[in-house]
Amino acid sequence: MNIEDKRNISREYFSRERLAEHHFRSFNAFLDRGMQEVVDEKATIETDIGDKEGEEPVYVELGDVRIVTPRVREADGSEELLYPQEARLRNITYSAPVFMEMAVIKGGDEEEEVVVDQTETKIGRMPIMVGSNKCNIADFTREELIDIGEDPADPGGYFIVNGSERVLMTSEDLAPNKILAETDTKYGDTIEVAKTFSQRRGYRALVLCERTRDGLLEVSFPSVSGSVNFVTLVRALGLESDEEIVHRVSDDPEIVKFMLENLEAADVQTTEEAIESLGKRVASGQGKNYQLKRANYVIDRYLLPHLHEEGVDEEDVRINKAYYLCRMAEACFELALGRREPDDKDHYANKRLKVSGDLMRDLFRTALNKLARDVKYQLERANMRNRQLSVSTVVRSDVLTERLEHPIATGNWVGGRSGVSQLVDRTDYMGVLSHLRRLRSPLSRSQPHFEARDLHATQWGRICPSETPEGPNCGLVKNFAQAMELSQNVEDEQELKQELAQMGVEGIPGIESVEQPADD
Amino acid sequence: MTTTVPRSCPECEGRLRADDCETICTQCGLVVDEHAIDPGPEWRSFDDDDANPERTGAPLTRSRHDKGLSTEIGHSNRLTGRKRRRVARMRRQHKRTQIRSKAERNRVYAFTEIRRLISRLDLPEHVREQSCALFESAQKENLLQGRSIEGFAAAVVYATCRTASVSRTVTEITDAAKSTRAELDAAYDAMNRELGLPTGPIDPREFLARFASKLDLPQEIEQRAREFATALRERGEDTGRNPGGVAAACLYTAAKHGGHDLTQREAADVADVTPVTLRNTYKRLERHASG
Repeated sequence: MNIEDKRNISREYFSRERLAEHHFRSFNAFLDRGMQEVVDEKATIETDIGDKEGEEPVYVELGDVRIVTPRVREADGSEELLYPQEARLRNITYSAPVFMEMAVIKGGDEEEEVVVDQTETKIGRMPIMVGSNKCNIADFTREELIDIGEDPADPGGYFIVNGSERVLMTSEDLAPNKILAETDTKYGDTIEVAKTFSQRRGYRALVLCERTRDGLLEVSFPSVSGSVNFVTLVRALGLESDEEIVHRVSDDPEIVKFMLENLEAADVQTTEEAIESLGKRVASGQGKNYQLKRANYVIDRYLLPHLHEEGVDEEDVRINKAYYLCRMAEACFELALGRREPDDKDHYANKRLKVSGDLMRDLFRTALNKLARDVKYQLERANMRNRQLSVSTVVRSDVLTERLEHPIATGNWVGGRSGVSQLVDRTDYMGVLSHLRRLRSPLSRSQPHFEARDLHATQWGRICPSETPEGPNCGLVKNFAQAMELSQNVEDEQELKQELAQMGVEGIPGIESVEQPADD
Repeated sequence: MTTTVPRSCPECEGRLRADDCETICTQCGLVVDEHAIDPGPEWRSFDDDDANPERTGAPLTRSRHDKGLSTEIGHSNRLTGRKRRRVARMRRQHKRTQIRSKAERNRVYAFTEIRRLISRLDLPEHVREQSCALFESAQKENLLQGRSIEGFAAAVVYATCRTASVSRTVTEITDAAKSTRAELDAAYDAMNRELGLPTGPIDPREFLARFASKLDLPQEIEQRAREFATALRERGEDTGRNPGGVAAACLYTAAKHGGHDLTQREAADVADVTPVTLRNTYKRLERHASG
């Protein structure tokens, strides 16, 4: 290719739309399906009405969400379309009303379920990214943009809250749902650990599988203090016989030897015993029945949540969890035998970027939960005062609005992260472009973290090798390379699995559904 | 929390507009107040500190039962075990002490209902503040006995809207409120009698913008309707009429003159009046236009 052609290609590549493309794609995906997915996860709002004798239970069913384009409501009550420039000048928020189908349903105990009230109601306002699909200037031509006082060269990709432009910083996190093997020191000894950040629906749980100095495997996960014996846990999950456990971990003779040591030291033999012993750990000093209930709950709720899937029954999920733990055990042993190197945390294959849409999703989820709690309270209150229960009188739309706007305005995100949103750098045009394509590592800047700050070979073509600030943030704040493409989460995982199966990817033998527990 | 700044222009009685640093009259441009004190939280900035740099809390507000002065026991993930449980117990006890009397509990309930109404009707923040203040004075005068809190919450919002010249019709309020029309009337009458609310007759012009945007009418027609309404007021012909009906009639007449498609039924519906009410004013307007 001659130099002229190359120049033309790169000119096309950096047309206006491409500069903040990653923000648009991510935010649009959030608007198009992310919001609905969050609502579907929630599905219903349960209330405490009906706990009393002779009272029918009441719950709220959540339906479709719909979002329109940004508009402003004046003090005199009139409503009109809002354009970004007006929002900047009047110090107001560029946000669009969100509507949701809600139905209050009563009954189910003795009487039949009846829909008391069902309407689509406004649940709040969502700040809209300038230039996204729901933005009022999305399809404007150059002339139209100039007419309404907008800069036609502006890349968009930021929000306007109370008149100030805020960009959501892309953050670089360790890839979830992936086994990472590494060595650690405990009481002066080197031990091998396999780690997984298991993530599902905004819930994040760290699962550790350690090989202690006496060669025994221990697993620790949230809600259990300390750690649980590996064999006990695997047996509790339904993988019972010695042979099967060994076979699932590895066929390598040396690893088999390690596993046999573990099995010899095991103090439970059957699934029932294992669950009992787990129950003693999670609810010591409680009644036996409660211990069993609690143990089952903990296994299904807190252990490797990412293996849960719509339409797969608990039995299969448990066995998959057992297989996954065996993979983690294998990783530990292989590391101990020197068959593999510890995983490189700075390798870009082990990183995932959280762009504005993902961040807004986290925000919307907590905001919706807050709204649900408020609706529950209002319903119970209305019921206690013998009021007619109706959708429109129990929804306080300012609850959601406040929860969405405040984090963007201050940068204090849910989960205690701060500085997530920043004022767009308008020093000059290049400043804006650079700011929109910046990403930040969540590591503390007050610690050395030399490896994390170093340029890694896998950043080639993805991250700019030279653009990074001097000083404490050096190497932690990075910028995208010019022609970087950011791939997105798939919409339909089932479809992806079928596609992979067709391409010849084999699942673990013995599982009917094409499940590949390793990786995400 | 009253400021010394008057509510209307001392020179020409015009509407005031306050922004970050000045309060100016929208009519004559008189600067009524400047260098306002920022009541927001004070803050320090540290270069490398994750702690919250704010040194004080939010400003005092009348829209909370405790004026926003309460303390809360926060959450920390550094505590574990026994200490964590102890803090959780303290938090629960602390929350219980925040409401000390039945009256205070009623106030909390009314304030949440007011807040809900304000957000539902998209009213500005200062209306909420004033509504809450009005509720408090009604409570102080012992007006609540035998009347419903929901009714009072709706009535104070209605009254505040009228005094702040952003009137809403009673139907608009009751549609959004938990209370019935009768409860609102009872509460409003009681307040009007005992507190002497500074409300005059509603100016129909306050409704024009809202009705016009509901009916999707263009700017010129709203402008024309405003002229009609002003003419009616100057001739004193809008007295004794339903202001909502007058506003709808002005819009209908303006739409008709402007060649815009609008039926009497549609216009009457947004104001929640009958087409007959609308027709009365319409005929009067037409008589003037022709004669």
